[in-house]
Amino acid sequence: MATSTYLSNPVVTINSVDMTDQCTSAVFTRLIESLESTAFGQTNRSYVGGLENSTLTVTMYNSFAVSETYATLKTLIGTQVTVKIKPTSAATSATNPESQLVGAYLESLPIVNGQLGALDTIDITFTGGAYSVAIA
Amino acid sequence: MAYVITSPRVGTVGDVYEPADGVNIDALIEGGFIKSTSKSTKSDKPSKDTNEE
Repeated sequence: MATSTYLSNPVVTINSVDMTDQCTSAVFTRLIESLESTAFGQTNRSYVGGLENSTLTVTMYNSFAVSETYATLKTLIGTQVTVKIKPTSAATSATNPESQLVGAYLESLPIVNGQLGALDTIDITFTGGAYSVAIA
Repeated sequence: MAYVITSPRVGTVGDVYEPADGVNIDALIEGGFIKSTSKSTKSDKPSKDTNEE
């Protein structure tokens, strides 16, 4: 049984702004839409790859201070932007690849997520864009 | 157009900022992360009202 603690420390960059110290969760998912290609005579469904529609979803502390979360995101809603993520803060390499989406779309931005006795956090998702990965 | 970094979240403050593909420059300027080094061509002086009565 695996019992070790995994100290996750990804670097998250949104529109060139390093937001790592405001993030508590980041999920980058590559998604290639499936197109059904099943034809008569087949006994199982089959699919081929369609358009890519990858996403980056991050959970962030909401801060309205200078150069923090709100200042970074307020003008990005409804626009395309470049987002990047890499597993650790070490130099980009083959073992620490930096994935990016150029032209990812930010559809919604929670302004306030207030709860009694809890820090204000928001979940935002960047969708689409051209995927690439840097190893140097 | 040249830009200078004004927030450590983008890089070393004072360094020239070279925008990469897909970067929203207006958002960075409005958020206070960078500033343009080009000077405004408009005069700061308010225009004189010469239509005195």
